[in-house]
Amino acid sequence: MKFYLMTKRLAFVLLLATGLTAYGQSYQVSGVIRDARTAEGIVGVNVSVKGTSQGTISDINGNFSVEANGSAVLIFSFIGYKTKEVNVSAATTSISVSLEEDVTSLEEVVVSGLASSVKRSNLANAVGSVSAKDLLGTTQIQTADAAIYGKVPGANIRQNGGAPGGGMSILLRGFTTLSGASQPLIILDGVYIDNSFQRTGRATVSGAGASSQDDGANRLADLNPADIETLEILKGPSAAAIYGTRANAGVIIITTKKGKAGKTVVSFNQDIGVGTPLRLLGVDNWSEDKINFFFAAARRPVELQRFNDANGKFIDYEDYFYGNTATLSNTRISVSGGDEKTKFYINGGITDESGVVKKTGFKRYSIRSNIEHKLTKDITFGFNSNVLRTVTDRGFTGNQNNTGASIGYPMSYVPNYFNLFPNEQGVYPDNPYTIAENPVAVTDKGINNSLVNRFIQAFSLDANLFKTDNSILKFKLNGGLDFVQNSTMIYLPEDLQYQRAQANPGDVLIGKQEAFNTNFQAALVYDYNVRAINMTTQLGVVRLDFETDVLFNRGRGLSPGQKSIKQANIQEVETDFTSKQQDAGVFVQQDLNYQDKIVGTLGMRWDKSTTNGDKDKFYGFPRASMAVNLTNFDFWSIKSVSQLKPRFAYGQTAGPVPFGTTFTPLTGVNIGGLLGSTVSTTIGNLLISPERAEELEFGLDLGLFNNRISFEGTYYIKRSKDNIQNLNLAPGTGVTSSPSNEAELENKGIELSLGGTVLEKDKIRWTSRVMWWKNETMVTRLGIPSYLTGAFGTGLGTFLIREGVAPTTIVGTPTTTGPSEFTVWGDSQPDFTMSWFNSITFLKNFDLNFMWEWRKGGDNINLQSFLTDSGGTTKGWFDDDDGDGTPNGRQRPPAPYNNAGRWVQDASFIKLRELGLYYNVPKANTDKWFGNTISRARLGISGNNVLLFTKYEGYDPETSTFGASFANNVDIAPYPTMRRLFFHVQIDF
Amino acid sequence: MKKIHKYLFLGLMVAAACNPFELDEIVDPNNPSVGSVSNNATKNQLQFLLTGLESRHRGYVGNISQAWNTFGREIWYLNGSDPRFQTDWLGQNGRVPDAAYFGFGATGGGSYASPYQAIKQAQVLIDAAANTTVVSATERAAISGFAKTIMGYQFMIPANFVYQNGIRVDVADPLNPGPYVTYDAALDHILGVLNDGLTDLNAAGTGNFPFKLTAGWTGFNTIETLKQVNRGIAARLNLYREDWQGALDAVNASFINETGSLNAGPAHPYGAPPDSFNPLFYVANAAVSTIIVVHPSVLDDATPGDKRVTDKFLLRNTPVTVSTDAGPLTGTHQDKRWTANTSSIPFIRNEELILIKAEALAQLGSAQNLLDAEAAINIIRNAALIGNYPGAVTKDDLIDEILYQRRYSLWAEPWGHRWIDARRYGRLNEIPTSYDNGAVFTQFPHPQSDLNWDAYTGN
Repeated sequence: MKFYLMTKRLAFVLLLATGLTAYGQSYQVSGVIRDARTAEGIVGVNVSVKGTSQGTISDINGNFSVEANGSAVLIFSFIGYKTKEVNVSAATTSISVSLEEDVTSLEEVVVSGLASSVKRSNLANAVGSVSAKDLLGTTQIQTADAAIYGKVPGANIRQNGGAPGGGMSILLRGFTTLSGASQPLIILDGVYIDNSFQRTGRATVSGAGASSQDDGANRLADLNPADIETLEILKGPSAAAIYGTRANAGVIIITTKKGKAGKTVVSFNQDIGVGTPLRLLGVDNWSEDKINFFFAAARRPVELQRFNDANGKFIDYEDYFYGNTATLSNTRISVSGGDEKTKFYINGGITDESGVVKKTGFKRYSIRSNIEHKLTKDITFGFNSNVLRTVTDRGFTGNQNNTGASIGYPMSYVPNYFNLFPNEQGVYPDNPYTIAENPVAVTDKGINNSLVNRFIQAFSLDANLFKTDNSILKFKLNGGLDFVQNSTMIYLPEDLQYQRAQANPGDVLIGKQEAFNTNFQAALVYDYNVRAINMTTQLGVVRLDFETDVLFNRGRGLSPGQKSIKQANIQEVETDFTSKQQDAGVFVQQDLNYQDKIVGTLGMRWDKSTTNGDKDKFYGFPRASMAVNLTNFDFWSIKSVSQLKPRFAYGQTAGPVPFGTTFTPLTGVNIGGLLGSTVSTTIGNLLISPERAEELEFGLDLGLFNNRISFEGTYYIKRSKDNIQNLNLAPGTGVTSSPSNEAELENKGIELSLGGTVLEKDKIRWTSRVMWWKNETMVTRLGIPSYLTGAFGTGLGTFLIREGVAPTTIVGTPTTTGPSEFTVWGDSQPDFTMSWFNSITFLKNFDLNFMWEWRKGGDNINLQSFLTDSGGTTKGWFDDDDGDGTPNGRQRPPAPYNNAGRWVQDASFIKLRELGLYYNVPKANTDKWFGNTISRARLGISGNNVLLFTKYEGYDPETSTFGASFANNVDIAPYPTMRRLFFHVQIDF
Repeated sequence: MKKIHKYLFLGLMVAAACNPFELDEIVDPNNPSVGSVSNNATKNQLQFLLTGLESRHRGYVGNISQAWNTFGREIWYLNGSDPRFQTDWLGQNGRVPDAAYFGFGATGGGSYASPYQAIKQAQVLIDAAANTTVVSATERAAISGFAKTIMGYQFMIPANFVYQNGIRVDVADPLNPGPYVTYDAALDHILGVLNDGLTDLNAAGTGNFPFKLTAGWTGFNTIETLKQVNRGIAARLNLYREDWQGALDAVNASFINETGSLNAGPAHPYGAPPDSFNPLFYVANAAVSTIIVVHPSVLDDATPGDKRVTDKFLLRNTPVTVSTDAGPLTGTHQDKRWTANTSSIPFIRNEELILIKAEALAQLGSAQNLLDAEAAINIIRNAALIGNYPGAVTKDDLIDEILYQRRYSLWAEPWGHRWIDARRYGRLNEIPTSYDNGAVFTQFPHPQSDLNWDAYTGN
């Protein structure tokens, strides 16, 4: 086997490397590094001696000292600044270096392979990169994914609802699969971490249906976003090819913060804030006329009596349920530092945030310790450990079925003259309207809790095996594990109205879910020069293992106030499910760099997996890319154009075959005290192969006036084939589906980004960045019968999957040319999305940042209106715009007022997504007030989702009752989105 | 230095020893596979498949009870959470069934896909029994006879759902389903299946059925009584085939008992988890807004003193009202038939057999037949405490009477009797729509998935 051979060679190389060291006449160079504009010292700048492994890091005042030999070149690099090279010799004793801020981030290093990276200015892909400053520099966001909004062109983030604790879907360059959620792979410090939407069971207890309606959080919510140093987003196969299987929907590479050599920095951060509903819709008032119109004749006297009894005291239930003020608090203490051998970063964080709905909230406790140790000057170990605990209470919202276990449902039907509040004895009145449950009682007594304990451990080993003047062979080993344990509880006590109406009142569903993922990767990277070409060759192996174990128990008929399954009359093992899968892969990659003028990459990855039809078959994924830096050529003479880089990239990736696709099970059923086996309605496919996507990307990067203005434009065409989807069989055969590899999808899109410094003066600096992107998706081949899927069926709008039609097409009643041809009412895909980010530094110590986001087009299926119209509570329901005697609430266009088109609405919006104003307290002041104990103090105010402009008639045009699927635009009784406003304090000691 | 490299080297050797390219053979950790029973199945496996067939056999109950009984205005299924149970199922505001109609989805759901799944299960059971040597010939015949009896019953459901659109009867190969055959041809095919089942049962010896059946079959778990159930189902089928003599012959070979309990008959059992609850049970007077209520026309048309009315309908303390965009509907009575959420639900009863006999006789039409039909009707009437039939003993009058009695005797059984009865006598227009301003459907189109499959294969 290849691997054994490689190991032998490696051992040989290792032995060779043992005796190598460099000799020469050495001397010390020291100096200070300053910001070119502010003239303040910069802490943490990497100082390295070119061609050696010598190096250091500047201290808090920007001072450094480094050992050099003979005539040397010092390289000064720091994120956010342009790299600078300075010649030194034994005669040099002290130098002063000023670094210019790099607003274009051309210097930042971006991942280009599994074991290598490249400068952005040499990058051939449009890799999105979000730094810690971009991520949380403006305001405090609860989860890392929510902080990517508007910051990466081509990344469409969608919040499924406003419930605390996350629940986001990330869609990179459109849908690549028709069967799953098109969610990117997430790799944290080399660990493949779980980002699944785990089940909570709410949809089971509330009757809504499948777990996609749980409104659960995706598990990225567990991570403390403050730990993140950079977030790199490989948007499609052309950039992600080397990740092979699992990379079809893109890859997000998260790197956490590291300690820096020098003085130990203790940093304390406190954010305090409030959350209020971003938007409330208002409710309709009632009158005697309206009551007489709305209710059946027999019911009218009772309702009129209730109306008159209210005596003009009407209750705004929407405000009661959704209009609460949330308290938001984030506390973080980090300690970081180290020396040249050992660096550490330790961060403890507590997030404690409530929601705008009573008794909801999110708590996160996080401890991270990242330790890096140089065993020798050629061997470096890294150990990053993260212990996390999150407690989430998300309440009862979204869809339900009869149980009333979604406050938005009964609320939509209760007239504002009826009192639902408990009396002095604490007895909640029965709700006599269409949804027979008292939502006040559900809010007060129901429990929807998820408790996650999680441990993520990453390790890395980097060894320089062999080194000459112009070549180096490195060995890189990394990997780790991710263990997630999620304990969930859904509880509706026995004294709720709906429960009392059941044969076994009281319902509790307790879940225990465990996911255990391990992975490791070993690679050899050889960096060498062939004439003027710098070559990097890498070769490696990857191994992934995933295990899940799910157990849900349900108890019905509960003893009063009890939540234990043992206190239930009916005790049921609701779900018992385990899964196990293994992947293995090999990769090779060759990078070529001709003097930063032409940069090319060729690579190949081969993967196999136990979920495939043939577990031993390797699937290959090639990649190739090239970038040409025209301005680096000698012939370039246009001074004003500082960068002009045409680039192209091509790559292939795969989408994994879901666990169990090859199985044709006999399902266990219990009937009349006997156990039976029923033939599954799905026939497993023993020939199933992974979904495969290929992408071709063209781009042009342009920098003007010394990169003061930069432009990045990318066009991509991404085709996926062998898409796995169920071949729906004729239901008359007693089986309904079998997975197939037939469908093909195409996504085409444009991503533009224009940024630069608008103004640069002594007192003010204003940088701005506009991003614009659009994606068009199309089913280019179906290969199986056309079908409808998603949402609640044709009567209320559903999706049409058909060759030559976008899979985001919304269709519904009435039929057109035949019983299976439905009217096209809309398309969920936006026409384009645009963001505008601004950062203004003024009066030396003030920073003002704000970001607008504009999403144009894209339709929602708005069933929130459907509910309130049915209940007569939509604001303006009883108005009669056309004067025909039928109120608006019974006549939503289009005529004849019975079709699905009534609920399909344009969800365009403009949001002021982030806004922040900070004040850096001058050092002189802190010294004066606190002596020399504080090295940095910063105060600020900020907001998230500050303003919303939309014609959409719902709480938020971004909402998804079905979570991260392509039916991600269905709006039904959602948890309203929060507007979050903060006050911040940061103190570094 | 040397030491460290040694450790590194050791580490690599260990890593190489556990070959990262070796993947385990992962079998389904949660379920056995269908393949495990196709050859040399054990007796236990056959038992599991047989019990599985009982489970599939009840798959239609909820959907048919709610939907078809709504179409025939035996009930309203008031549903506070989803107004479409009213607006769509009652055909309000001009709604007409399409291929993916609400409540049936793209596969026809409980009215189409579920019965076909039972048919598939029966076929897998028959094949498994045929491909194993662990059972005797009589045991094999017993399994086959039982399975075909259920198959015949289940085939009637899709046939009545899409009616004149016709159904597939050749469904053995999932990738090559046969064409649609007309309603009449489908019914003839079903008769063949039931007759084959009878032939098999005739070859299955005597005494107890050789495998375990649930308590739903108590009193019907011998080879002899299973044959009677088979004939009872054939009798129901022959009414639809308008083969009156065939219906009479079949009913006489069934478990009909003119002096016995009208409720006698095999049933679908229900129970607490891991079993399923009776899907038709609602707690008396529960303060809910989702419930099956008695259609007001059933109350309005009732004969005073009819025991069936007091036995089956419970006058609620507070009516249930549900508002939709087509206006409110109010139900005053709920279903009283089920004492608990674990009550079993009969799927063919002696009472129906007596009414089948009456109808077959009335249709056959000789003077003696008419008198015999009247006598059968009187069994039903007297049991309901409404006295002997007072009307004229003519074929037409008796048919009117039989259809009327069927409305109350077979009210809201999981079959949609009223809808089917009205349709086969061309009386759909007699089903009242004035209470809900809706419309009465005649039949459904083929489900979307079926149409799609045909478009896909070019048929």
